[in-house]
Amino acid sequence: MVLRVQSLFGDERGPSLGQKLREVNWGLVALLTLIACVGFVMQYSAAGGNWEPWASRQILRFGFGVVLLVAVAVIELKFWYRIAYVLYGVGLALLMAVEIMGTVGMGAQRWVDLGIVQLQPSEVMKVALTLVLARYFHGILPEEIGRLRVVVPPLLLVLPPVALVLKQPDLGTAVMLLLSAAAVCFIAGVRIWKFVLAIAATLVALPLTWQYALHDYQRNRVLTFLDPERDPLGTGYHITQSKIALGSGGLFGRGYLQGTQSHLSFLPEHRTDFIFTMLAEELGMVGGICLLGLYLLVLAYGAGIALRSRNQFGRLLAFGVTTTFFIYVFVNIAMVMGMVPVVGIPLPLVSYGGTSMMTLLVAFGLVLCVYVHRDFTFNRRAALAA
Amino acid sequence: MIDAPPAGQPAILLLGAREQALRVGRQRLALVALFLGAAFCLIAGRLVELTLLRDLAGERRASQAAALKPDRAEIVDRNGLLVAGNLATASLYADPRLVFDVDGTADKLMATLPGLRREELVERLQLPRSFVWLRRNLTPRQQQEVAKLGLSGLDFQAEYRRVYPLGPLAAHVVGLTDIDKRGIAGIEKSFDAELRGRAAGGEPLRLSIDIRVQHAVRDELQRAVAQFRADGGGALVQDVRTGELLALVSLPDFDANDPAAADRDALFNRMTLGVYELGSVFKIFTLAIGLDSGATTLGQGYDATRPIAISHFTIRDDHPKARFLTVPEILIYSSNIGAAKMAVDFGTKVQQHYLQRLGLLQRAPVELPEVGMPLSPSPWREINTMTIAFGHGVAVSPLQFASAVTTVVNGGIYRPPTVLRREPGELPGQRVLSAEASQAMRGLLRQVVLQGTGKKADVPGFHVGGKTGTAEKVRGNGYARRSLLSSFVGVFPMHEPRYVVYALLDEPQGTKETHGYATAGWTAAPTVGRMVERIAPLLGLPPVAETVAVGELGGRGGGNEGRGHKVAAQ
Repeated sequence: MVLRVQSLFGDERGPSLGQKLREVNWGLVALLTLIACVGFVMQYSAAGGNWEPWASRQILRFGFGVVLLVAVAVIELKFWYRIAYVLYGVGLALLMAVEIMGTVGMGAQRWVDLGIVQLQPSEVMKVALTLVLARYFHGILPEEIGRLRVVVPPLLLVLPPVALVLKQPDLGTAVMLLLSAAAVCFIAGVRIWKFVLAIAATLVALPLTWQYALHDYQRNRVLTFLDPERDPLGTGYHITQSKIALGSGGLFGRGYLQGTQSHLSFLPEHRTDFIFTMLAEELGMVGGICLLGLYLLVLAYGAGIALRSRNQFGRLLAFGVTTTFFIYVFVNIAMVMGMVPVVGIPLPLVSYGGTSMMTLLVAFGLVLCVYVHRDFTFNRRAALAA
Repeated sequence: MIDAPPAGQPAILLLGAREQALRVGRQRLALVALFLGAAFCLIAGRLVELTLLRDLAGERRASQAAALKPDRAEIVDRNGLLVAGNLATASLYADPRLVFDVDGTADKLMATLPGLRREELVERLQLPRSFVWLRRNLTPRQQQEVAKLGLSGLDFQAEYRRVYPLGPLAAHVVGLTDIDKRGIAGIEKSFDAELRGRAAGGEPLRLSIDIRVQHAVRDELQRAVAQFRADGGGALVQDVRTGELLALVSLPDFDANDPAAADRDALFNRMTLGVYELGSVFKIFTLAIGLDSGATTLGQGYDATRPIAISHFTIRDDHPKARFLTVPEILIYSSNIGAAKMAVDFGTKVQQHYLQRLGLLQRAPVELPEVGMPLSPSPWREINTMTIAFGHGVAVSPLQFASAVTTVVNGGIYRPPTVLRREPGELPGQRVLSAEASQAMRGLLRQVVLQGTGKKADVPGFHVGGKTGTAEKVRGNGYARRSLLSSFVGVFPMHEPRYVVYALLDEPQGTKETHGYATAGWTAAPTVGRMVERIAPLLGLPPVAETVAVGELGGRGGGNEGRGHKVAAQ
């Protein structure tokens, strides 16, 4: 049976849904599933050898997420191109909604209660910002890229959501948004001196930010990062305990389900942000390196898909998502090993939690969509005309 | 779909720019990918460092903890019973740099470990160091509770704690160690180096103390101190043949496991560190010197009809007979006048010579660090000789007094007292008195108990001999009539002396049963009697029929009760 859906899945002259499904890069899907399985295994261990309550839910979410991923992948790339600004607008509106009526919980205003589900607007923004920047730079002519006024719209696109997220307050996500936006701009060809200028401006703004924009706990986290032993009971406690757990892992670990630091609750947040520590304690250095290897493969896939894409939008989108994913992995693992401040970033696909997994799978749906439509080329007008 | 070139731009230029833009894009993409890959290597390297290199340090620590061994030898009594041992415990320390919330940490510790001082705790938790002790030697339960608090910057150090399973029972002999297990009193101090040295071999240090005897003696002394509401007291049991101390008690005493609870008085060893004018018990030596030096004989008589006035002193008797007294009667009735006159007969030089040889003029050579220096008059005039004859004017430690008594009754051989196990015949000793004089003294001491001031010390079947001594304690420049030091030195069995039992009560008060008397005959003598009654079976001495004993008592004369008179009449 051949399904033909008008416009959303391509016009009459485009490939059928069945063709598109065959075109999906199933290798990448398998890789993501493998990483998610590592997560299931660790959730099973975190519950003391039980599928309930975490592993089972995580599997359900992942199953739902994979369906979403495939759906996103087979939708026309042009569709995503078209609704980029709409999504961005929705994301921004949600962020402002959080500011106005957000549910205050966990010391941070991050959720907006939509009645049935709680939505984390910053997650929506992660995808929307990459989309909107990819679309913007797709429309910029190569010879225009060096002009100064070209970088003004991206700045105007990036700064409002970053400011709103920072105000929630969620320092980690704000930095994530900035970094992935910078990565898209960089690949798009924005001149390097502009980045240097931006970094310089940031350094100048830092003392001011420190003084006025950061919450006490955020300052505390940065200070604790600079000197972890300064606050061994608070934030530093996480890092100290995490290092102890890692140290007790050794080459092959204490054995699956045998991690004392995690199971005796010395390690906080061990099924969410600090799950990598638990993995390294139970499965040792070998287990940790294996997971890193899987992530590295995802990076290779993402870079390959980006290079293979014949349109700028797809290239920027695929690599923007891949970079964001990778920065998450890096920051999370560097954090649990005491190399960067504790910023509350989950480990992609492995940490327990529904929202970030959905976001990630939707984002990788976009990467696969780029792959499916890798040979398409379109310009701004053509895309909008359809 | 085909890209349409924007209007108004030359196609050639556009193509060149496009090519370049594409190249830049690819280069940058590769650059970012490389950068990300490098970041990956960084965290992988860090992972290796944390998991592998840190682990070695952890293993090293663990192996050190396992290798911890007691660093101090045990101390056992003469029968091998443990009196000082080692217990594996955990001590709590802090790394103040890692203690985040000093007040919170202090609060939680205060609630968990009673007895900590808050100000001190807070101060310690803020010291600019990486290691401070918070509490040493926690019980396993305390350790568990502190661990459960989950406080950062705190950790435990496994170590051995010195424990004294018998508590205060032999505290003054064994002594104690400080928190770092350095001996600070008793055997622990005097054998500190040896106990550390022996730790490797594991051979315990064996005392001469017999814990069974020690317990009986302490128990009876405690009862007497309570009964007579005394300030304190002391008692010892010494083997006359070896000089070994089988018991040494000073009350009040302390629990070496909790020395902080002890006051200064409790830490003071009355038997070795205290020096006292012991009073009439010294008459034993006066008679022994008189008999041994030949200055007197058992049959000689001394005029005790009236007190002696010499310079501004007057020497009088407590139980005046106001007649001529024989030598035995001087001891039996405890005549100061008679003893003083006898001392004048043998003279100062002879007295000094004998007292010196009996070990009464120098520090007792016992192994304990707490040994008092005896006090003797200088210059030593005739008046001193006369007062020393009945125990005033020379202050000695009860221990060295008892050791001198062992010499008097054991055949005349002086052996230094010891708290360590000593085999019979191991130490030949020095002859101070002739066997004959010693033999005569045995008879005299038995008579004191049979018919003199020491009647209440008698224990049927054990032939206790001895002498009472009631001294007035020095107060300012004179003597305090009501502050007494009542003591009794007992010897048993008198036909073949084995043990000296000496008990001393510091300021006992008379009771209804004693008709208000606090003198030695009413207080210390019955105490020694009860001690003998309890320890004799422990020491393997069977009771002996009175008739047998009498026959063996020096072989001088027969009869029983009346025999004393015969001795006295000799």
